[in-house]
Amino acid sequence: MTARILMAGIFLVGMWGVVADKNMMRKVFGLTIITSAVVLLFVVEGGSVGTAAPIMEAGVYNIVDPVPQALMLTAIVIGVCVTALALALVCRIYAATGTLDIEEAAKRMGDGH
Amino acid sequence: MAKARAYLETGAINVVSAIYLGYRAFDTLGETIVLLIAVSGTLTMIGDGYLGSKRFATEFRRLHSPAEDPLELIAGKLGLIVLVFGAYVMAFGHLSPGGGFQGGVVVASGLLFLALGEKGFKTSRLTDPTSLQKLEAAAFLILLLAMAAGMMRPKAGGPSGNPAEYIVFLNVILGLKVGAGIGLMCVAMIGDLYR
Repeated sequence: MTARILMAGIFLVGMWGVVADKNMMRKVFGLTIITSAVVLLFVVEGGSVGTAAPIMEAGVYNIVDPVPQALMLTAIVIGVCVTALALALVCRIYAATGTLDIEEAAKRMGDGH
Repeated sequence: MAKARAYLETGAINVVSAIYLGYRAFDTLGETIVLLIAVSGTLTMIGDGYLGSKRFATEFRRLHSPAEDPLELIAGKLGLIVLVFGAYVMAFGHLSPGGGFQGGVVVASGLLFLALGEKGFKTSRLTDPTSLQKLEAAAFLILLLAMAAGMMRPKAGGPSGNPAEYIVFLNVILGLKVGAGIGLMCVAMIGDLYR
């Protein structure tokens, strides 16, 4: 239970970064934190049926559920893709407007900067 | 029961590898396409380097002579060791924790180390964006062909009938593709800061 509450906390920290922070770079970091929280939650839930790592050497039994781990492998790669694209976008916006503050950037773009 | 079946059907002791390269290999193919699109998008957007980096690089270089920079001194040597470790993680993904994606990311960090360690202007072929692009495209093509071959011949198994060979092959190709793709993005993001 404690682990799940902690993960909800991590998720909310990332959410706070995305919603409340005006710095675009920190918004991207918040997105990364949200991804990590979801990945952690899936791995913990997969671990509720066993304890050993899912590597079937002789004498290994009672393994964790390997399906969430395989799915989270996908989620991690997609998270990296999203982060890279978002960072490239932030780079372009910074090069065009000279600021990382999202409201300031919107204002300068509106001026035909 | 399920454990025995995963090993018998795919030949991989590591059940996670058995799932993402055995049972759900087409899902993995789609995932590499997503990665390919993300890499192309990132490269299109930042071109050959972040636009402000050229000015920053000239100022930076005047302040720090490349030969005295501890980062460049250490990272260039560490890069090769990291590359070897990445190859190990790729090739033994069916026996131990690891696999194509993990090994690919380790290879990408090795490439990043090499790019950081290049003294000033010299570029090696390993961190040259053009050759990385070619490597990624070639690995993706081989991956597509391998998947198409799997469609023709639904029964898993390598040339000699051992199903584990197929997983090792896919792991290595996938690792090369992911390593080249993410390494390419990292090198593009460094831009000409260090070269």
